[in-house]
Amino acid sequence: MPPPLLRGVLACAALLGSCLMPAAAQTQSQPAPSSAATSKVLYTLATQCSLAGGPPQPCTVEAINEGATTIYRHRIGPQTIAVRITESPVTMASQSGTSKTWVPLRTAGALFSTNTICFNGRELCVVNPNYLNSVREDRQDLRLQGRDLVKVHFGPDGRVDASCYDSGCEADLR
Amino acid sequence: MSGALISSTSWRRRNSLVLALMLAAPTITSPLAALAVSLDASPYQLIARGGGGGGGRGGGGGRSGGGGRSGGGDFGGGRSGFQNSGGAGGLNRGASRPTGGWSQSVRGSAPSPSLSRPASRPSGGFSGGTRTSADFGNRTPGDFGNRTPGDGGNRTPSALGAGDRTPGSLGSIDRTPSSFDRSNLSNRTGLTNGDRSLGADGTFNRNGTLNRSNLNGNVNRDGQRVFNGSVGNNWSRDWNVNNVNLSPGWARPGWGYARPWGTGWYGGWATPAWGWWGANAALWGISSLASAAVINAAVDSAVASNTTYIVVPQTTYQLLYGTVQPSGSQGVSFLVQVDGNTFNLTADCNAGTVNGALPNDAAQAELLNAACQVAYGSAS
Repeated sequence: MPPPLLRGVLACAALLGSCLMPAAAQTQSQPAPSSAATSKVLYTLATQCSLAGGPPQPCTVEAINEGATTIYRHRIGPQTIAVRITESPVTMASQSGTSKTWVPLRTAGALFSTNTICFNGRELCVVNPNYLNSVREDRQDLRLQGRDLVKVHFGPDGRVDASCYDSGCEADLR
Repeated sequence: MSGALISSTSWRRRNSLVLALMLAAPTITSPLAALAVSLDASPYQLIARGGGGGGGRGGGGGRSGGGGRSGGGDFGGGRSGFQNSGGAGGLNRGASRPTGGWSQSVRGSAPSPSLSRPASRPSGGFSGGTRTSADFGNRTPGDFGNRTPGDGGNRTPSALGAGDRTPGSLGSIDRTPSSFDRSNLSNRTGLTNGDRSLGADGTFNRNGTLNRSNLNGNVNRDGQRVFNGSVGNNWSRDWNVNNVNLSPGWARPGWGYARPWGTGWYGGWATPAWGWWGANAALWGISSLASAAVINAAVDSAVASNTTYIVVPQTTYQLLYGTVQPSGSQGVSFLVQVDGNTFNLTADCNAGTVNGALPNDAAQAELLNAACQVAYGSAS
């Protein structure tokens, strides 16, 4: 069974544009932000992506500022997966295919040394140095100093309820 | 930076997290509140409660949630590691334009998306390759100019006994009398001024014609030549580094691919293609410059240790690598520190010039090469 984010993509592909979201995801879906928000494309990046831990494949990432959110639209072959990130608080949600529904993400992780950020485990991974450069430069305090791996977990309310760094992501505090 | 490998098994397995949170009270009397967080749906194994997201730049685990005023994951006190974590482990929207701007493509050999950390990562950072003698300029005896056999009275390497003065070991010669093959001293005729005499106490007088100042620099403990960083006539000093961002977003782990400008075209030759290189290099007594691997490793190590500069190989220059910026398609600007002074320089990586002039000496050539490698060299 493909992971939810990919299932969404597959469902979209199967229905030729009429995208069905997984039932579980539907229950957590979020409304789309106001369409009145001004959009501004920050950049379009030609890079590498992978789906569900699969092999790397060429993709493009379009980063769009839209009101209080930034949307990263990943185009991988015929598939499109968008990730929307809000700040204050930080939340992440994805949208597959032509769906209008934003599904909250469970996890996100970044490894600076490979310029990679992954969403929902490894459902979608992308090499995006632009994103990480921005994050790094915007966090000039100690929180990222000397860090390479960063992972976050989102709670049921979509907000971050846990995070870890480097080898701390292997720790088991049970 | 040290860190253990993330194993795929630990990555995937289900976990539950027990997190003890202590309320920050004037006197710590509250029992630990054990909180079990099931991460059944998550492949991650997480250790710290971020505290409800906090806000923008602050408060992950702060007062807004996550278990009390002290911040999630902290045990008492107000200054936890997560106090200002922003609630997302440092992640954010990524919408602020970083220094150097946005890249339009990931250049180089198209790295694959991966969250797998290297299996062995030394505490000092990435090794970035092995330093061979070639990386430091192939110090053959002939490179030292004044140290010709004629000057030294049959001072060929073979005559020194036991191969002590091999190119790679210069500076690490064991000078104790016991290890010096004195039988070879019989050939040491022609020493000028008797400088290289065998003292009455059995010590070998190395003062005199073996003039180390002729080496145009020093020899460090590793046996490598070190050229003192010279200051060009047209270098302006007293640059205020306090007003400069020494840690732009790209100057981090993975910096090679994170540089948001065209890279990868510089270097890759055995010797530089600069027209002035050959004759000057011979004059300076060097045959090559530090390799890309050595310079990349120096930056990797500096990043890992949160150091804002690298010591340019074979010199005393401190290159503030985070200040390296492209200028046009083949130029670079950067800050370098010499003897406590900071200089803002420009270089042309194709023409091989620093501030519009040819390097005065080997040290400046090394500086030029290092800045250009950081700016335009291949990623490691």
